[in-house]
Amino acid sequence: MRSNLHLKSLIFFILIFLFWESSSFAQEDLSQTWFNPHRANMLIFLIFFFAVIIYFIERAKKGKSLFIRRIAGLDAIEEAVGRATEMGKPVLFISGIEDVDQIQTVAAMIILGNVAKMVAGYDTPLLVPICQPFVVPVAEERVKEGYASAGKPEAYNRDNVRYISSEQFAYAAGVNGIMLRERPAANLMFGSFYAESLVMAETGFSTGAIQVAGTANIHQLPFFVVACDYTVIGEELFATSAYLSKEPKLLGSLKGSDLTKALIMGILALGVVLETLGITHFTRWFYIE
Amino acid sequence: MDLGSALWNGLAVFLTLCIFSILYKDNPFYKLAEHLVVGISAGYFAIILYYNGFLPKVWVPVVKEGKFYYLIPTILGIMMWTRFSRKWSWVSRYPIAAYMGIGMGLAIPLTMYAFILTQLSATMQPVGFANAKLINNLLVAVWVLCGLIYFFFSKEHTGAFGWAAKIGIWTLMVGFGAGFGVTVMGRVSILIERFEFLVNYAKALIG
Amino acid sequence: MSFYEKMMTLDRRWVYLCVGIAVAVPLFVPFTVPVSVTPEVRSVYDFVESLKEGDRLFIAIDYDPTVMAELQPMSLTIMRQCFAKGVKLIISALHQNGPGMAEQLVSLVSKEFDKKSGVDYCYLGYKPYPGLTILAMGQNFRIPFPQDYYGVSLDSMPMMQGVRNYDQVKAIIAMEAGWVADSWIRDANGRYKVPVALGVTGVMAADYFQYLPSKQIFGLMGGLKGAAEYESLAKQKERQATGRMKVQTIAHIMVIIFIVIGNVGFFMSKRKK
Repeated sequence: MRSNLHLKSLIFFILIFLFWESSSFAQEDLSQTWFNPHRANMLIFLIFFFAVIIYFIERAKKGKSLFIRRIAGLDAIEEAVGRATEMGKPVLFISGIEDVDQIQTVAAMIILGNVAKMVAGYDTPLLVPICQPFVVPVAEERVKEGYASAGKPEAYNRDNVRYISSEQFAYAAGVNGIMLRERPAANLMFGSFYAESLVMAETGFSTGAIQVAGTANIHQLPFFVVACDYTVIGEELFATSAYLSKEPKLLGSLKGSDLTKALIMGILALGVVLETLGITHFTRWFYIE
Repeated sequence: MDLGSALWNGLAVFLTLCIFSILYKDNPFYKLAEHLVVGISAGYFAIILYYNGFLPKVWVPVVKEGKFYYLIPTILGIMMWTRFSRKWSWVSRYPIAAYMGIGMGLAIPLTMYAFILTQLSATMQPVGFANAKLINNLLVAVWVLCGLIYFFFSKEHTGAFGWAAKIGIWTLMVGFGAGFGVTVMGRVSILIERFEFLVNYAKALIG
Repeated sequence: MSFYEKMMTLDRRWVYLCVGIAVAVPLFVPFTVPVSVTPEVRSVYDFVESLKEGDRLFIAIDYDPTVMAELQPMSLTIMRQCFAKGVKLIISALHQNGPGMAEQLVSLVSKEFDKKSGVDYCYLGYKPYPGLTILAMGQNFRIPFPQDYYGVSLDSMPMMQGVRNYDQVKAIIAMEAGWVADSWIRDANGRYKVPVALGVTGVMAADYFQYLPSKQIFGLMGGLKGAAEYESLAKQKERQATGRMKVQTIAHIMVIIFIVIGNVGFFMSKRKK
């Protein structure tokens, strides 16, 4: 308790110092100095951001429980898989068009593993068309693991994870062909998508499949929202993958960014109140001259 | 229109119509045009990269100007290519790490400043009901807060928090609607230009 | 299938046909639509109008032929306005498929005004990694571009004497079709505090309005409408975007009709169930 009080006092005095010092440095030429105090706000924010992320990652690594609310998209995925099982038709999983080094593709692979475990339990076929060659072995591994963890390793069919094409619209055409021929009852589209998103979502809609999509590419979200039954929006995709994988780095990053968001919300609310009262110093601290 | 322009523009018209043919159904003409555009863009980019990247940044400095320290990034770049070898792909981790480190070091502080701090300070405006500007500021502040609450994953969306999250998702949907609308506008603009091209070509041919 | 369900499941090829007719027919029918000018476009025009002869302006033509329809008209109009005023232009083309197209544009407009490369304008061309290029230009244009697109050394150019970096240009007007717009805001304006205005495609327009109140950009021209607004202010002879606005209007009406049909079908068939 006492050390917390000392820490808070220290931070308070540093802030006061910076408020005061920043005005006295205003007229000096700082281009030749090692430290530019006008940018201290950025430094403090960055230190805070990195510190909370590292703190929560370390907490997660030690096995401490970090609460993340259940994402509604997970229920939608379960419903979609359940419907496909009832109808005796396959589930189609599309993991985006970017390579495995993109974080959205990584998130999609985590969700794929979870979906593979679900469909293995129900004996529902799972089709996974892939756009980038380097993603194929990763997808194969995730699906195989999913089947193994459901206790059905023999049910895994390697031919169901197939490379289509690295070209955007050639891939979309290939996926459309699969949708029209195989008539999957559930289309799950998670990952990074661009202009081909609406092409695929529209074809899936025309076949009557239940569609759940998720991407962090903001421009494609409107298309998924109109063509799909449920859309996992932006950061929810990463939250879903963190929730499913329980990977310490993902969980810790999510909790750290949540805390940063809470700080931003608090600053915003406080700033609006102060500005309305005519006190502008607080807002000016966030602006770099 | 001279013969050369007629032929080149005629080719452009043919390829445009090939692409449009997908609207009816997939066919070999569409596939031809699609593969052509992929191949030509890749080839074009390779040449652009050679003349604007390799020559001025590697060949001229090292061979003509004797600036041998340019070999350091050149070697790092060559190491990236080992990614395609199963045996040597570990070598590519070093230049990737250097590239990511430099990229993050340059991008993170500026991103924090430009897209978070500056936007935060611009959102903190006086609010009230006295005039349209104050009401606008209030709405922006409320919607930003509700949007952030929607993406807060450490608490269940229940009670007042849940209501704020609902307002947040409605805000997002309004934004998506606007995004959808401008996307339609953008796509229609491109279609208009193509139709104009086709019509102008036909007019030029007929004379 | 009921009538309302048929409305919802209308074959998309009918939609394509109707939109195609809505785009093609107005091309043959002479009429105009009024174009109202928004403050964010006017601020770009007013800024360029305030420039004096000899001032330097940086224009980034960072798009490729796929979005020429929206961005070319505004690029043409601004360049013509600048050359007419005697403003000197530094031009880059940081999209990988765009340098040839940008060079054609620069040649076309420079010939109209009898402007010389190196004296009245400097076309830098393309360099990979736009973010790094933008940052490097903030230190010195010669770091990423020791020569211009034609291989001429920047140091030998009369108009580049004494021009080191963004400090010597009045502003940057960037025509963008992708994420490089973020780089101009973050790196050029955020790091070097150079005023930036954007001309973006319609798809991107909604995303960049937030940078106007924060003064990270001083103007925004969005899509064909933005180009038409600028043309109506500039009052030049050639007005590509203005001529296309009538077609855009009819096409939008057609799209709205289909949206209404689909929604009526959706709600009525839901009610029936």
